[in-house]
Amino acid sequence: MKVKETILVVDDDRDFLDIIRRILGYKGYTVETVSSADEAISCLKAHFHNVAILDISLPDANGTELLPKIMGMHPDIIAIMLTGHSSVQNAVQSLNSGAFAYLEKPVDPENLLSVINRGLERQRLMLENRRLLQELERHNRVANTLLSVSQAVAQSLDLQKIIDAALEKVAESTGLEVSFVYLTKNDRLQIAGHRGLSPMIVDKLPKEADKQSGTIGGIYSQGKPIVIEKLSKDGGEDLDFLRQGGYFSFAGVPLMIVGESIGILGVATSFTRYFSPTNNELLLGIGREIAIAVRNAQLYEEASSSKALRELDTMRTEFLANVSHELRTPLAVIKGSANSLLQPDVIFDEETRREFLVSIDKDADTLTRLVDDLLMMSRLEADALEVNRKPRAVLDLFDLVKDRLEGLTVKHRLRITVPDSIPPVAADDIRIGEVLTNLVDNAVKFSEDNTTIKIEAHPNLKEIIISVADEGIGILPELQEKVFERFFQGKNGRKGSRRKGTGLGLAICRGIVEAHGGKIWVESKPGKGTKFSFSLPAA
Amino acid sequence: MDKKRIMIVDDDPAILRLLSTNLKARGYEIVTATDGEESLEAVQKEFVDLIILDLMMPKVDGVEVCRRVREWSDVPIIILSARGDENDKVKCLELGADDYLTKPFGIAELMARIKTAFRHRGDPSVAPAQSSFTYNGMEINFAKRRVTVDGKDVTLTPTEYSLLQHLAVNSDKVLTHSMLLQSVWGNEYSSEKEYLRVFVGRLRRKLEPDPKNPRYIQTIPGVGYHLAAIK
Repeated sequence: MKVKETILVVDDDRDFLDIIRRILGYKGYTVETVSSADEAISCLKAHFHNVAILDISLPDANGTELLPKIMGMHPDIIAIMLTGHSSVQNAVQSLNSGAFAYLEKPVDPENLLSVINRGLERQRLMLENRRLLQELERHNRVANTLLSVSQAVAQSLDLQKIIDAALEKVAESTGLEVSFVYLTKNDRLQIAGHRGLSPMIVDKLPKEADKQSGTIGGIYSQGKPIVIEKLSKDGGEDLDFLRQGGYFSFAGVPLMIVGESIGILGVATSFTRYFSPTNNELLLGIGREIAIAVRNAQLYEEASSSKALRELDTMRTEFLANVSHELRTPLAVIKGSANSLLQPDVIFDEETRREFLVSIDKDADTLTRLVDDLLMMSRLEADALEVNRKPRAVLDLFDLVKDRLEGLTVKHRLRITVPDSIPPVAADDIRIGEVLTNLVDNAVKFSEDNTTIKIEAHPNLKEIIISVADEGIGILPELQEKVFERFFQGKNGRKGSRRKGTGLGLAICRGIVEAHGGKIWVESKPGKGTKFSFSLPAA
Repeated sequence: MDKKRIMIVDDDPAILRLLSTNLKARGYEIVTATDGEESLEAVQKEFVDLIILDLMMPKVDGVEVCRRVREWSDVPIIILSARGDENDKVKCLELGADDYLTKPFGIAELMARIKTAFRHRGDPSVAPAQSSFTYNGMEINFAKRRVTVDGKDVTLTPTEYSLLQHLAVNSDKVLTHSMLLQSVWGNEYSSEKEYLRVFVGRLRRKLEPDPKNPRYIQTIPGVGYHLAAIK
C-alpha cells in the first residue's frame, strides 16, 4: 500500500481550512490544519510533512517570516504560499526564500491540486537524488574503510599487531563498541584479540570456542555471517559474556581465505537495529582483509620460528661439542699425567714426577672453573641466581679482584680510573668481581700484547656506569648484540689464546648485571677496540 | 736402530709436555708444533715417522692438516680429539688419518696405537711367504711393498697397504670384520667396524676403476670382505 503524503495547512480562516481539508482528504492526502504560526511550528517539529500550505497573513506572524523557519527545519518541504491580491509582492519575495509556489485567494481547487502534484513530483526527484548520493557515499565509505583496514593490517607481520590494528579500524569505521577475533589453533578456536570490553567482561570472554557448536562455531563452520538483533532472545551460550556486559545486538563474520575459514570476527553494540546490509557487507570485507593478513603472518611466523629453532639447535649442538672439548682437554691432562705416573715400564725422575703433579693440580682448577661457569649458567637460566646487594664503594669492588686482573694483564697495560666523588653502588661484590674478571679476560684475549686496557667508572643519574675498554680487534656491528647470547663464541682470538671458552662468559655477565637491575652493552669499532659497559644502581 | 721421530701437534701446552715426556722416556725423538700452520711447515722441513695431531686448533685445524699432509706423504697420522663425535672420527679416517683417539686416554693405549701404526710401515716379520700377488690387472710386489693396477703405480699409506696385503694373502677366504680388524690393526680394535669400512673405501678409491662396482674388494654384507671372486 502506498503511504499518502502528509500536508499541513496553516490559515486563520476556519471555513477555508474546512474546505481545503475535505478537498485534499478526498484526494487521499493526510491533512493537518492549524490556524497559527506557533501551532504550525510545533506540528512540524512532531513529524515531517511533505507539503506546507501557508497563508501569508497569520494572526501571530507574517507568513513570509514563518517560511524561513520551516525551511530551516525541513529543507525538503514543499511550501505553497496563499496570498490576497494586495500582498502579491510579498509572495514573490517568498519564492526567493524557498517557497515552491504561491496562489492567490480565492484558491481554485484544481489549480491547488495541480501545484501540489508538481511539488510532490519535484520532492520525489530530490529525495531520490539524495538517496543515490548517500548510497554512493556509503559505497565510498565501505571502500575507504576496507582500504584503511587493509593498509593497517598490512603494516606488520606480527599477528597480535595485525589483530589489534584491525579491531581498531573496525571500531573507527563502524562505530561498534565491541569487537573480537577468534582464530583456529590446535583444532579449537582461540581468542586472538578483543577491543572495547570492560576488564570484568574480558574475564568472562571464553578463551576457546568449539569449531562446530555455539554461535561462534556456527559462523566458523558454516562460513556465513550471522546477525543477532536481540541477544536477549537469540544466540548461543558462548555469547553470554556480551549479555552480561549489557550488549544488545551481535554480528559475526567468518575470516575466510580461499574458501577456508581460519577464524571469526565478532562485533557487538548496545544499540538496537544497528546491522544494516551495508554494515554487514563492510564487516565481511574487513573479515577478508584480516584473514589475508593473519594468514601471511602465520606463514611468516611458522617459517621464522622453525628457523629460530634450527638456529638454537645448531647452537646447542655446538655448545655440547664445545663443552665436551673444554671438559675433555683438562681431563686429558689429568688422566694422562696420573696415568704416566702409574705406568710400570717407565720410572720418571723426581722433577718430572713433580711436573705431572703440577699439571694435575692446575687442570683440576681449570675444570672447577668450567663447572662453576656451567652451574652459574644453569642458575641464571632457572632465574635462581641470588645477588647479595649491599652498598659498596666502587674502588672496593675493583680492589677485591685487583690481583686477578693484574694476573690476567701481565702482558698489557691496565689503567683503572675512578673519580673520588663517585657514590657507592648497591652490588654483590663477588658477582660484580666475576663480571669484571670476565670482561678483562675477554679484553686480553682479543687484543695484542702491550696495548692498554682501561677500567673506568662514572656516575650517570641514579646509576654508576663501569666500563672495560681495550684496543683490540673489535667486534663487527652485526655481532655486537649476539655476543651476549649463550654459547656465542668469538672467532679469531689472538694467537696463543690457548683454549676456547664455553661461550658463556658474556651471557653470565649479562645475567649477573641484570640480576642487579642494571644493563650491559658494548660499543666497538673493528680494528680499533671494544668497550663493554654496565650500569649498577647507586646505593 | 735409529730412533723414531714423532711430531706432536697440539695447541694445549700441558698436553704437549705430557706427551713429549712420555714418548721421550720410551725412546722416541720428539718434534712439537702448537698449531696446524706450524706443523705443516715443520713436517715439510724435517722427516718424521709419525704425527700425533690434535683436532681442534686455531688457524689450520687437524682435519685440514691431515688432508694436506696426505697430498704428498703417507706418514702415519694418529688424531687426538677432545670431541667424542663419531662423525669427526669417520671424517678424519676418510681424509687419510690412520687412527683416532678420544681425550682423555691412557698412556698405554696411546703407546699401543703408535706401535700398530709402525707395524703397518713394514715389519719384515709380517711379510708373506709368497713374493707377489696378481689378479685382474692388479699386481702386488710384497718384497718391494709396491702395488700397480693396469701397470700404473698406486701409492698406499702403510695402513692401507697392510689391509690390502692381508686380503691378498687370504684371497681364498672371506675375512670377517673382526678377523680383519684383529690381524691388521690389533686385538683392541676388533669392534672398530668404522675403521674397516673407511679403509676399504680408501683402498677402493685408489685401486678400483669404478669404486661403486668394485672388481677387487668385494663386500659380503653382514660378514666381511674378500679380495677377488670366490669360485
